Amino acid sequence: MTVTAPVVTGLDPGVLVGDWRNTNAEGSIARIVCTLHDGGSIDVRAYGRYDGTPADWGSVPASVYAFTFEERAAGAFSARFELGEARVDLQANVKLGVLVVVELITFLDGSGRSHFFDREFFHQVKR
Amino acid sequence: MTASTARLAERWERPDLKPPRPRIAVETLAGSWKKTNDKQQWIDSVIVDTEGDALYVTIFGSAPPSPPSWGRKRAEVLYSGGIGTGDTRAGAFTAHYRFDDFDVEVQANLNLGLLVVATFVTFRNAGPLSDRFTREFFYRAIEGNQS
Repeated sequence: MTVTAPVVTGLDPGVLVGDWRNTNAEGSIARIVCTLHDGGSIDVRAYGRYDGTPADWGSVPASVYAFTFEERAAGAFSARFELGEARVDLQANVKLGVLVVVELITFLDGSGRSHFFDREFFHQVKR
Repeated sequence: MTASTARLAERWERPDLKPPRPRIAVETLAGSWKKTNDKQQWIDSVIVDTEGDALYVTIFGSAPPSPPSWGRKRAEVLYSGGIGTGDTRAGAFTAHYRFDDFDVEVQANLNLGLLVVATFVTFRNAGPLSDRFTREFFYRAIEGNQS
């Protein structure tokens, strides 16, 4: 996974930045790390858990969003991971200190696997 | 393989699942959906209808800058609630709207009988309003393609 040009935004993504761990030890994604760049953009690195062991999906630029049109603080992001056989779209927002992550998994291979939706919860361990 | 990884495999790794993919039960999502919140919000109501295997969404705005009528769009991707099923009782769909000044990515999913609609609003040019995330809840007022 390669990092392309980060998305520049005027929003403050501070609440999103940090190291987030899945509250469920059996979750599909073990860990999400959001890193701040100059200019206010963030990269998101995810560690999936295909086979029970966290696997680095790499880091991708994320788009960030506020909760209202007037706010300058970002509370949500979206990011896309291209994993070859599957595309994973993460849509996340912070609610009461928890990162609520929607996972939209689209299989790009010719298998009989259904595209599926999942939602998981992450707590922050370090900022 | 431990019990834990077996469950993970059930979610992600199913090489035994041969094509074709199960048909996604789009009808489960169909209906006329009204906002659960009495107050104004981003989206007032949503109509989901189907034609064969295709799902269409029609959105009505609640308050500016949300357009009063967003129009009818075909869902781009349909998601089931699990890797080996076409059941959408915990499924989702995505759709995209393009307006004069902004784009909206819509993601809606069923959760315990509610339609949970998230939108990601992105302005094409910098302006006074921030790009925005919304998450709103809708109850089914009318079942199926009768809206």
